[in-house]
Amino acid sequence: MTRVRGMEPEPAEFAEFYEATRDDCLRIVLLNVGDRHLAHDLVAEAYTRAWMSWRKVRELEVPRAWVVRTALNAHVSWWRRRRREVSLGDHDAAASGDQATLVSGDLLAALRRLPPRQREVVTLRLLLDLDTETTARVLGIAPGTVGAHLHKAVATLRTEILRPDSQEISR
Amino acid sequence: MNDNDTLAAVRDSLTTAKGSLAGVHMNTPAEAIAREGRARRRRHTLTCLGGATAAAAGAALAITALAVPGHPASQSGSPARHPGTARLAAWTVTKQVDGDITVTVRQLSDPSGLQSTLRADGVPASVTPVASPDPSCRPYPMTQALFTSVYQADKATGAGTTVLTINPSALPSGAGVWLGAAFGRQAADRGLHRAAVHQTINHAVHQPVHQVAPGADNGVLRVGLVSVSEQCTGS
Repeated sequence: MTRVRGMEPEPAEFAEFYEATRDDCLRIVLLNVGDRHLAHDLVAEAYTRAWMSWRKVRELEVPRAWVVRTALNAHVSWWRRRRREVSLGDHDAAASGDQATLVSGDLLAALRRLPPRQREVVTLRLLLDLDTETTARVLGIAPGTVGAHLHKAVATLRTEILRPDSQEISR
Repeated sequence: MNDNDTLAAVRDSLTTAKGSLAGVHMNTPAEAIAREGRARRRRHTLTCLGGATAAAAGAALAITALAVPGHPASQSGSPARHPGTARLAAWTVTKQVDGDITVTVRQLSDPSGLQSTLRADGVPASVTPVASPDPSCRPYPMTQALFTSVYQADKATGAGTTVLTINPSALPSGAGVWLGAAFGRQAADRGLHRAAVHQTINHAVHQPVHQVAPGADNGVLRVGLVSVSEQCTGS
């Protein structure tokens, strides 16, 4: 069935954004959740929402930050169910040969134990490399609050860095 | 180690960890994302429409909305995919190769013409103003599942245009379609609260409500099912 649809993102524009940001967003979410399949589902969910709200998302100061935040806050829904119910295309078949779950080091385990807001600040400031002011605008909080959250988070993570047997990440 | 050193060390560690994932790729194609977004939007639209039904009345379902009177026919909104395509200023009816009927509504006018066109395409149909339904028509029991199998609604390209797709093969034996044009005040008079009209339009169309005419209320196109009869649906 063919029908005319409105309000769709400009295909080339969304695709360009997606191609430019998807791997980085996936890796950042993966660091936060530690499970490759889960990270994929969350990021796919976030990009789907971005597609649906593209007129809004494209106007944001840092659209990829919106994707990462949405992924971290999203519940696994359609994408995860879909993977259980049907066999997927080649792109997922290729991924199936990898380890599904990352065995993370103490630093990443500590990152995942941080309170949500501290983890968001660390993700935006250190993984997405946003400055304090931009992070504050993205999160809708004061720059000073960003600094306070980051200070607490880094103090927590610091102990893991200083451990001599700390393992960063393994696959 | 002072605060800056600590921050730098944490940043370096996280950057290194991210760098170790260089072989991890998001391989889902962009088109798969768009396809799912498109499907969700369609389901969302239908869910909103279904919700409006329960709030409104009977078997009729409120769907979206209308354009400005006098708005010229948009050729881009009525693609010529079929030699049987009829082009009219207010609406376009196109019979698809799979038998679906696409009704592109730009303005709610000439309901009798729309009714005749639908019947000519083999759809038992009654098209009336909501305020003055055909007294010979009897509502056919509607369920959400039946509604979604018969009707699909999309916001079309171009301001104020709504595309309604009718799947005649999903019509139960003895059932025909009913389309009713209602403007805001009429909708309210029929028990569809003005706020509900706005909510329906906003959720379904995802854009600000259109003014039907200066000072006038907003329009909605309502759809439902009726029992077929010679008097009501022409067959």
